[in-house]
Amino acid sequence: MARASTTSDVFNAIAEAHRREILDALMAGEKAVGAIVNDLSMSQPQVSKHLRVLSQVGLVRCRAEGRRRLYRLEPARLRPLQDWLAKYEQAWNDRLDRVDDYLQELQSKGERQ
Amino acid sequence: MTANRHGSAVIEFPNDLEIVVTREFDAPIALVFDVFTKPEHVRKTIAPFGEEVKVCSIDLRVGGNYHFVFVTDDGTECSFRGTYMEVEPPTRTVETWLFDGWPDAEAVESMDLQEAHGVTKLTWKLAFRDQAGRDHMTKFDGIEANLDNVEDLLRSLLDPEGTVSG
Repeated sequence: MARASTTSDVFNAIAEAHRREILDALMAGEKAVGAIVNDLSMSQPQVSKHLRVLSQVGLVRCRAEGRRRLYRLEPARLRPLQDWLAKYEQAWNDRLDRVDDYLQELQSKGERQ
Repeated sequence: MTANRHGSAVIEFPNDLEIVVTREFDAPIALVFDVFTKPEHVRKTIAPFGEEVKVCSIDLRVGGNYHFVFVTDDGTECSFRGTYMEVEPPTRTVETWLFDGWPDAEAVESMDLQEAHGVTKLTWKLAFRDQAGRDHMTKFDGIEANLDNVEDLLRSLLDPEGTVSG
C-alpha cells in the first residue's frame, strides 16, 4: 500500500535515485511539474510525491503561476552534504597523490630499463 | 502465498491503438475480481503512491458508471471515469475510459481474468480511439504501483495475520 516517505533531511531526500533525477532536471532552471514529467520516466503522481519530499527539506522551492506550479532548485541547501563530503576530500586527495607518486616511480624505472 | 511479484507487470503495445498489461496474482479469481470492482477495495489501491482518494464510486452493471479521483501531492486531481459495457463476474468487464488529464483521449478498457492452479492472470487492455490518444501512454510506474497495491491488498485479505511473509 502507501509507501511512506521517511524523509527529514537532505541526505535522506537525495538517497532516492528518482529524487536525484528530479534535481538534475531542474539544473537548467525553473520548471512546471508537467515539464519535469516530460523529461523523466516517472508519472505525474510519482513526480509530485518526490517534489513534496524535496520541498520539505528545502531543496526545491515552489511558486504558483495561475494554475501551474513552478519548481526551482535551491542548491544552497545541499551545503550539509558538501560539508560532510569535504572531510573526506583531504583523505581522497592524499591517496591520489600517492598513486601519482607510484605511477611516476614506475615510469622512471621503465625509462631506465 | 509465494514471494511477492512486485514490478512483474508485462506491458505490451500490440498495435498503434492499444496497450495491454498482463500480471499474475497468487489469489483465486473471484477475489481478484472483487478487488478490481468493489469500491471498498478499489479505494485502497487506485491511488498509485498512496495519494488521497477523493472519489471512488462504482455502479457495477451494464450502463452503470464508475468514477475515481485521487489527489497528487502537489494538489493535482486525477479523475478517471466511464460506463460499463460488459460485466461478467468473475472473468470480465469492459468499460469506457476517460482521464480528465487527457481530454482528447478516449478509450475502451477491458479487464479479463483467468485462473489456473491458484494463480489468476489479469489481462488489462486500453484500446484508444486514435493513435494520438495511445501515444499518451509513456509512463508505466503508476500502473505498476497500482497492480502492486492490488497484490498487497490480496495478500492481506488472504492472510490477515500476516503469518506468511512475502
